[in-house]
Amino acid sequence: MLNRVTNLTMSANAQRTLQTQQSRLAELQEKATTLNKISRPSDDPAATAQALDTRARLAANAQYGRNIDDGNTWLTAVDSALEQATNVMHRIKDLTVQAGNGSLPQSGKDAIAAELESLKTDLASIANTQHLGRNIFAGTSDAAGAFAPGTPRDPSIPGDTGTPPTFNGVVNSSVERRISATQTVRVDADGAAIFGSGAGSVFDVVSQVAADLRTGKDISPRLASVDTAFKNIVDGRAEVGTRQAQLDRASSVNTELEATLDAQKTGIEKADLGSVIMDLKLQETNYQVALAATAKVLQPTLMDFLR
Amino acid sequence: MSTFGALNTAYRGLTAAQQGMNVAGQNIANAATEGYTRQRVEQSSLAAPARGLFSGGALQPGQGVSVDAIARLGNSFLDGSVRSAGAQAGYAGVRSSALQGIEGVLQEPGENGISAALQGFWSAWQAAANQPSEDGPKGLLLNAANSVTDKISSAYQALDSQWSRTRAQASDSVDAVNAAAAQVASYNTTIRSTLAAGGSANELIDARARLTDKIASLAGGTVREQPDGTVDVLVGGNALVTGGSVRTLALSGSSSDRMGSPLQLEWTDRSGVAVPVDGGEIAGALSVLAPASGGSGGAIAEAAESYNKFASALAAAVNPIHATGVTGSGASGVDFFTFSATGPAALGISGPANIANIALKGSTGGNLDTSIADKISQLGTGAGSPDKIWSGIVTGIGVQSRGAQQHESLTAAAQAAALSDRASQASVSLDEENVNLLTNQHAYQAAARVMTAVDEALDILINRTGLVGR
Repeated sequence: MLNRVTNLTMSANAQRTLQTQQSRLAELQEKATTLNKISRPSDDPAATAQALDTRARLAANAQYGRNIDDGNTWLTAVDSALEQATNVMHRIKDLTVQAGNGSLPQSGKDAIAAELESLKTDLASIANTQHLGRNIFAGTSDAAGAFAPGTPRDPSIPGDTGTPPTFNGVVNSSVERRISATQTVRVDADGAAIFGSGAGSVFDVVSQVAADLRTGKDISPRLASVDTAFKNIVDGRAEVGTRQAQLDRASSVNTELEATLDAQKTGIEKADLGSVIMDLKLQETNYQVALAATAKVLQPTLMDFLR
Repeated sequence: MSTFGALNTAYRGLTAAQQGMNVAGQNIANAATEGYTRQRVEQSSLAAPARGLFSGGALQPGQGVSVDAIARLGNSFLDGSVRSAGAQAGYAGVRSSALQGIEGVLQEPGENGISAALQGFWSAWQAAANQPSEDGPKGLLLNAANSVTDKISSAYQALDSQWSRTRAQASDSVDAVNAAAAQVASYNTTIRSTLAAGGSANELIDARARLTDKIASLAGGTVREQPDGTVDVLVGGNALVTGGSVRTLALSGSSSDRMGSPLQLEWTDRSGVAVPVDGGEIAGALSVLAPASGGSGGAIAEAAESYNKFASALAAAVNPIHATGVTGSGASGVDFFTFSATGPAALGISGPANIANIALKGSTGGNLDTSIADKISQLGTGAGSPDKIWSGIVTGIGVQSRGAQQHESLTAAAQAAALSDRASQASVSLDEENVNLLTNQHAYQAAARVMTAVDEALDILINRTGLVGR
């Protein structure tokens, strides 16, 4: 059927065209002001799924970043405690070697023994170091200290060593921080392995040396056990160092991943400013053209030309 | 032909032209009236009287013009396509706006959606694991859990109220259909009697066509024209209006029904039997209001059901791991998410009442062990994780809504095309009417001239003949 054109169809058409143009203009205006490509899932369901996934990974990554930062403070605390312990052990070893000198009078040996006793107390307090209210050498234990204090020696008996501190933490447990979806890092140190527990512990060894000095025994056989205790502490510190390096690597990976994910999220969710502005300008022109054409078309009727 | 026959012919011409001008005037007056269908004078020429036995030998011209009718230039085929396009557009429009409402409840992707709350929840487990001896992070974890459950239940409530709103709209639509049907029936009787008396019912037919358009856009249906000028309106194959009699429709159930109750359109006099509506806003509303049935039910109830499934899946992922842990108060086997015994899962889900019921530690290890917290915090990354389930729900609703919107714009375009086709046939063209007006005006003037000419001829015959030589 041939379309008959009347004033009504023309004005209805004009209205519809203007409405379409205007709604497109409004749509582009919203896009240009918010720069959001997806404001509802139906705008692009596939991209919405990607956006949700990227947002989830960003949030998880941010939490891993916080975990890494927290882990770093732990490892720093462990490292500085072990550094102090190493310094103390240096002094203990020096004193032990010095006391091995046979020409030392008993008064000198007593003085060295006294210093060794006080160094042992230092070590014990280092072993009970806390970070943010938690023992850093006690694993997952919530005991008051990583090591239970032993009984002090009886000062009237030179050969008495008292009992050494014993490990109070949970054996073979560790404090872990999650640094990625697949990886956790241990951020404490095993107090039982580093300091030993009870008989044979570093505290025991130092007490034995001090007792031997007080009783005038030859302490050269003890040197080996002092060395072993020293080595345990140094080994522990080295291990902490490798884990700190691991955290540093994880931290830089984390930062890079965050940048990548951010870029991904922007790519999925945000519109390109240049192209949106171009579209908007073009649509503005289209709308003006439609207005002008409508104004021209709707004006004349036959009435204008009849006298 | 009699002496005065020509005068009569001229008179017929005058009245025909006058009628033409009247109709053109009516058309011009209604150029902007919605639903007005243009009219034309239908006229025909009158033939010469048959030659009889005593008629003379001279040939005779016809006897002028006769006005037969004032025709309404509508087209029932185009009317029909407007109605069916209107039914489709009504159906698609309601569905599209309902699905957009569901989609609006999601608030995804964004800061306020469930996925953001879920991320906060998983992160809170890790934060709590970092400081197991502190109460603060556990409190934050509790908050994060509540934020997830609150979002689930408030979304469910939003869907519930959307269901009630849509039902109320559907009920209003049914009332509107009944009112329109009653009016159609009363127009039917008026039109029938007008036509039987030989009158013109064009304007009444226009008004009735507007009502049948409205019924079609609300309830679909077909219109059957009858020889006596009435129309029958059929909905779902049964007559809503037959001549002057009318039946009424009603929604089943009561207006206080809640989401999930079955709903159908019924004849008031035959309750319990569904009317199969094939289009229109009521059909659209019924399709989104249907109860959930394994993914193929009504959109609103299905969306609500997917919130239920999500709530259950979240609890099913977290609870088994949480139950293997030991809570702050020393109990084990404690569920993290609990459900109220009655009502839907999405409304009944809640987190622990206080931080003592949170289990961070496993059954082995020290008191500050956090293996359970770490395990739970990683639930968000797996293949069947609550995050993935949620993302699937969002994508599914997005796809559905997109489809409905596309269907809506398609049917809206079809409706616009049908309307403009009909308007192109039925609407008044001012140019055309001006031309008609001019034609009739000239015809009137010419007929008057004919009358004057005959009058003068008669004048000469009567007053001037026989005066020779006087």
